[in-house]
Amino acid sequence: METKPLSVANSDGSKALWVLLGLLAAFAGLAAAFVLDLWGHSAPAAVIPPVDLKFLDTDTVRRSYADLVRAKEDLTDFDCYGCHERGKPPVLAFDANHNLVVPEVHSDVVMGHGRHNRNNLCFNCHDENNLEVFQTRDGRELKFADSPQLCGSCHGPTLRDWEAGVHGRTSGYWNRSLGPIDRKLCVNCHNPHSPKFPGRPPAPGPHLLHPVETTAVDPTGH
Amino acid sequence: MPLPDPTVSPGGSAPSSGVTRRSFLRGTVALSGVAALAAALAPLRKLDDFTTVERFMQKYYKELTPEEMAAVLRRIANDVEHEYGIRPHVRDLKPMDGVEFVYALNLTRCIGCRKCVHACVNENNQSRNPEIQYIRVLRLPHGSLDIEKAEHNYAPESVPEKGYFYMPVQCQQCKNPPCVKVCPVHATWQETDGITVVDYDWCIGCRYCEAACPYWARRFNFAKPSLPKDRLNPDMAYLGNRPRRQGVMEKCHFCIQRTRAGRYPACLEVCPAGARKFGNILDPESEVAYILRTKRVFIQLKEEMGTSPRFFYYFDI
Repeated sequence: METKPLSVANSDGSKALWVLLGLLAAFAGLAAAFVLDLWGHSAPAAVIPPVDLKFLDTDTVRRSYADLVRAKEDLTDFDCYGCHERGKPPVLAFDANHNLVVPEVHSDVVMGHGRHNRNNLCFNCHDENNLEVFQTRDGRELKFADSPQLCGSCHGPTLRDWEAGVHGRTSGYWNRSLGPIDRKLCVNCHNPHSPKFPGRPPAPGPHLLHPVETTAVDPTGH
Repeated sequence: MPLPDPTVSPGGSAPSSGVTRRSFLRGTVALSGVAALAAALAPLRKLDDFTTVERFMQKYYKELTPEEMAAVLRRIANDVEHEYGIRPHVRDLKPMDGVEFVYALNLTRCIGCRKCVHACVNENNQSRNPEIQYIRVLRLPHGSLDIEKAEHNYAPESVPEKGYFYMPVQCQQCKNPPCVKVCPVHATWQETDGITVVDYDWCIGCRYCEAACPYWARRFNFAKPSLPKDRLNPDMAYLGNRPRRQGVMEKCHFCIQRTRAGRYPACLEVCPAGARKFGNILDPESEVAYILRTKRVFIQLKEEMGTSPRFFYYFDI
């Protein structure tokens, strides 16, 4: 297309030469810009550390007596008559506010069961005449391994849900013909002496490209 | 590139090299043009894993014969082994007869710890950077189910916080899925067990489904997914957790590689509070059937959209 003016006169030829030189510079500049990635990739990728493996484990909050037996672990804590004397029920002590005074040797037991911690009588669940078993309020005697029945003697609807597989942890197979289901006991998640489910630090939230301030929402909705 | 030079006539006064200024300049301009074009196409070099002939020629999922599917699974296993150094176990699991999956989530029990989010990422080989997560845990103030008041960037010392409850949101596996309707290439569809799946080899990345989903459940691979080799889950399914490529859509598929093999999803198994329940709604003995029969099943999220989710939220106090 540019051959026509080129062949006409010398002055037009030099003009065309400048145009071509300009084009050359523009092309060279573009090529350099493309090679050097001058635009489009300026933002550095955010650094996201891999999530802590503790957030991936499927372990329960606690281990039940049955777990300890299965793992053949130290059961001296459950050997009541290593210290207590048979046929001599332990005596409970209470302070002025009617709170149970937990003896020094049982200092790992933190009492907090029931509204206002009022379920604080050891022998509501433990059998004072045989510390190695539980007693229910309706007079049944239960082994440590059968603790859900003990909990269910007061928390009936929860036991019913648990038996239906609806309350508590499950893992394994939903299709029982393909594999077993793994159910957890009440005490795998709840400390029987202080059963409220404990709080825990949350796993990291989504990493944002542009962090925003988290605005606290007024819980009352005002 | 040789160019004809009109100014040089045979036997004329041209320099002995045979190159005039004009032809030299033309040649230079043409060369630099070619160089610029090559440089402009340079980003294509980064797409070395964009496609292979085998993948490009692959037929539609529903048209593959068992032999062809076996070849595709071998190809995927080879690709994964090539990239991650681990030989995966890739399967194409089909829906079971008489099974329709339903998820139920207990809002009374959820403590907002986000363990489900990360168990899901780990199970389903999502990209870690840029981050792709199928589950978002919303924090809502007590006394309201107004999603507008939800916050998902909460980061307190300890959860649960006083005055709030938590609502994890993921793909609701709708009975009437808007995402499936808008897909122009049928790369996403609803299976007979209720799971809406995506064929990552058929998706063209138009993101219509992302726009159509009222739950913000679909995630797009804007960049090449990055996945640490030591966190790769080698138990894979074609429609499930096999590694994705840049430019395709993905979403929760109820852990198809687990649930179609009879197992519970990963988010359920990791939940410390037992708030998540899953099962076959067509089996009256299943946990989810018990929940829908006896519990206060409070919401299907955005029920008014008419999507009819298979994901139910309930309370039990």
